[in-house]
Amino acid sequence: MKGTVGPVLLVLAAILAFWYVACVPMNAREVLTQAERGGAVLIPPSARERIDAPLLPLLWQNSAHLDQSWSQLRPRLPSPHQVMVEIWDSTVTEEVFSHRGIVQSGEWSNRSLIYHTGVTLSATVLGFLIGAALGVALAVGIVHNRAMDLSVMPWAIVSQTIPIVAIAPMVIVVLNSVGVQGLLPKAAISAYLSFFPVVVGMVKGLRTPDAMQMDQMRTWNAPGTAVLWKLRLPSSMPYLFASLKIAIAAALVGTIVGELPVQRGGLGARMLAGSYYGQTAQIWAALFAAALLAATLVWVIAMLERRMLRRMGAAG
Amino acid sequence: MKKLMMAATALAGFAAPALAQDAVRLQLQWVTQAQFAGYYAALDQGFYTEEGLDVTILPGGPDIAPPQVLAGGGADVMLNWMPSALAAREGGLPVVNIAQPFARSGLMLTCWKDTGITGPQDFRGRTIGVWFFGNEYPFLSWMSQEGIPTEGGPDGVTVLKQGFNVDPLIQRQADCISTMTYNEYGQVLDAGISPDELVTFKYEDMGVATLEDGMYVLEANLADPAFADRMVRFVRASMRGWEWAGANPEATAQIIIDYDETGAQTLAHQVFMMGEIAKLTAGSDGTLDEAAYQRTVDTLLAGGSDPVISAAPVGAWTHAITDAALAQ
Amino acid sequence: MIVLAPALVVWLSLWAANAILTGGGWDRHPAVRLAVPLIFGATILLVWEMAVHLLAVPSVILPPPSAIAAKFLASTSVLWGDFVQTILKGALSGLAIGCALGLVVAVLVDRFDFLRRGLLPVAGFMAALPIVGTAPILVMWFGFGWESKAAVVVLMVFFPMLVNTVAGLADTTAMQRDLMRTFGAGYWQTLFKLRLPAALPFIFNGLKIASTLAMIGAIVAEFFGSPTQGIGFRISASNGQLALDMVWAAILVGALAGSVSYGVIGLVERWLTFWHPSQRL
Repeated sequence: MKGTVGPVLLVLAAILAFWYVACVPMNAREVLTQAERGGAVLIPPSARERIDAPLLPLLWQNSAHLDQSWSQLRPRLPSPHQVMVEIWDSTVTEEVFSHRGIVQSGEWSNRSLIYHTGVTLSATVLGFLIGAALGVALAVGIVHNRAMDLSVMPWAIVSQTIPIVAIAPMVIVVLNSVGVQGLLPKAAISAYLSFFPVVVGMVKGLRTPDAMQMDQMRTWNAPGTAVLWKLRLPSSMPYLFASLKIAIAAALVGTIVGELPVQRGGLGARMLAGSYYGQTAQIWAALFAAALLAATLVWVIAMLERRMLRRMGAAG
Repeated sequence: MKKLMMAATALAGFAAPALAQDAVRLQLQWVTQAQFAGYYAALDQGFYTEEGLDVTILPGGPDIAPPQVLAGGGADVMLNWMPSALAAREGGLPVVNIAQPFARSGLMLTCWKDTGITGPQDFRGRTIGVWFFGNEYPFLSWMSQEGIPTEGGPDGVTVLKQGFNVDPLIQRQADCISTMTYNEYGQVLDAGISPDELVTFKYEDMGVATLEDGMYVLEANLADPAFADRMVRFVRASMRGWEWAGANPEATAQIIIDYDETGAQTLAHQVFMMGEIAKLTAGSDGTLDEAAYQRTVDTLLAGGSDPVISAAPVGAWTHAITDAALAQ
Repeated sequence: MIVLAPALVVWLSLWAANAILTGGGWDRHPAVRLAVPLIFGATILLVWEMAVHLLAVPSVILPPPSAIAAKFLASTSVLWGDFVQTILKGALSGLAIGCALGLVVAVLVDRFDFLRRGLLPVAGFMAALPIVGTAPILVMWFGFGWESKAAVVVLMVFFPMLVNTVAGLADTTAMQRDLMRTFGAGYWQTLFKLRLPAALPFIFNGLKIASTLAMIGAIVAEFFGSPTQGIGFRISASNGQLALDMVWAAILVGALAGSVSYGVIGLVERWLTFWHPSQRL
């Protein structure tokens, strides 16, 4: 772990440098159009001719007018500091200084990223718990019942090929019409995406005890439930945690997708709203918040795994 | 026994005020914005509570088809554009128009002037952004009437399924995009493009406009007199809301911002939107104008090889609710 | 719930049939292994059909499988065009580019330990970027055609391929590497003759994950802007036109494509990695 900080920082610095440089060609056409409106004379002079002009000569001939590349209002590629400023504005500034923020009104502002992250987080955790419980239950069923093993597994695999974004609006409409609104439909979609890795991992894990260990249980005249509790489940812990990490990332994706149809808060709604109103920096800020949330959730599972495995005496 | 009776009466007493408020759920056809100012104004100013209604406004979004929500019982009344509602009616979902606050259409095509487009026939060989999810019917009808195929090629238009922003125009991925006078057109101007760089075609001016935001309910529900009475009160309060919104645009914009759950709207944009929406609702008391309805139906039926509806709808609207609402 | 009784009867009887098939010691027979999941699938379809009719579910909410099948068979030309646009042009090209990129970067990461420590965590962060956010940005950059869909797919499959290939390249034993050294093999020879072949099981594992992600990525990306063709477009536009049977027919095309690609990759895997213990089952 020690050896990673330096290289990671270096790679990040390289990415940042590349990003700043890339802002110029990415935003070039709009920057030049703006300069043209401001009265500058460009080569070639009209926007229509510039559409098909090759990019590098365009940049070279008009390099004097490219200074606005990093401060565009509707950039194709916002510069890193624009994204940073947007994140700062939507979190600290909004909560501390705005009349809707937590400092002045006692409630999280519905314009701040913190509030939206909270909305997404609650649905993700709920969906993850449901999906993980369902996955474990299915896995136990598959391992103990041959009919389930042969019938459910292939369809569980096929279920993952059905594009979830297509299902999301229909699930939400159907659940809404039964009166289930708000958190549960999003959690349902999260659960749908997160149950499969858990099933696959647990099935593999529950089957890891080898013949000798199973025989040992039989010599002790252990009933099936004892074999499950005392042998199969403990041996499956490493597989369980590996799949829990994948499952929680999938649950987050599911929640974000589930927020698209209903648009009542959450990082997915925020990203889409930014896309509608052309606020590119908002999209990027919400994107980073979502990635950060995913990384944090996976890290939490990793911490739990370390604690659990250490207590069980497995590899620390 | 006496104590039980007293407790029950007390409970009923508590329940009574709650029962006096009838629940109504309104499904919007897009996210919270000034396009729905009248309803939010009515909610905020207490017009609905004065009529004894407990109204929940359900914002829409890109994947929500209001007819679906209505069919599933997730809402009592929905907002929808007439072409979409008539298509749903023909497709087996009997929805009925009970009020039409929007008298005029705000739909238009916005094109770059330097493409040289001056009229609809110049669309041939061009790329045009069109919204779907119910909003494509006016465009498809128009192209059918002009005789322009929509599958692309030098003699037809190439249609792009436009997302709900104006980037395709700004980044010149499309020559023209669909815009609403009250929303996307303002965004195009906000992006720094001046009106002389653009040429616009309003559907109203082209004679192919269809009626837009109207209130629709399921025909089966309308047969229930208690439901019809709730709708009468709802329409009455909503039209009061529209009047108030038209007279107080800035305050209404602020109300919209307060009710917006995504936190993405800006006050300036909502004020602009409110101003434009007022032009579309001006002069309408909510009653559906039969001539405008007929124009919409004729436009949709004239769609040549691919008409939006194949037969003139029967019983697709009623004046009963608006007559009762405005009678007072 | 009483009204659903016939559907429950059907479900229970087919479940009993499955139980009989698997309980009698015949469960290793290939015919039984094929029949059981098919019976299970048929059960779901039958119960769905019966439930829709018994509960009188409106067809704009959920159509019955019979209507979906009819629509599917009636619209094969339209659906074929969508399939070519989304799967062949968008998903497949993105998959090819993403996997190639993942392989190349994995070799670099393997060669230079510095890159391994610096790049893997950053790539992990990139993988966590939700597609709902990246798709509109990529459509903005690459336009409405299949190129932006391929770009979304590249972003989604890069990390699984990278992680799996890196794990695979590390999966050789010390004895195997020593043997190559006794032959005087250099780094690149060892790579091509020992480590890449040894990594194939992991690479195929990554490919299976990547193929599913590629399809989902291409379809989702179309929700944010597309020409009037494509599976994602068909799903979205038909949903808006309340033609739910077309929506499900398009979903069926997507699911079929995903399952077939998964199966094809599995077959190629069995052909190329016949020597691996997991293939001996």
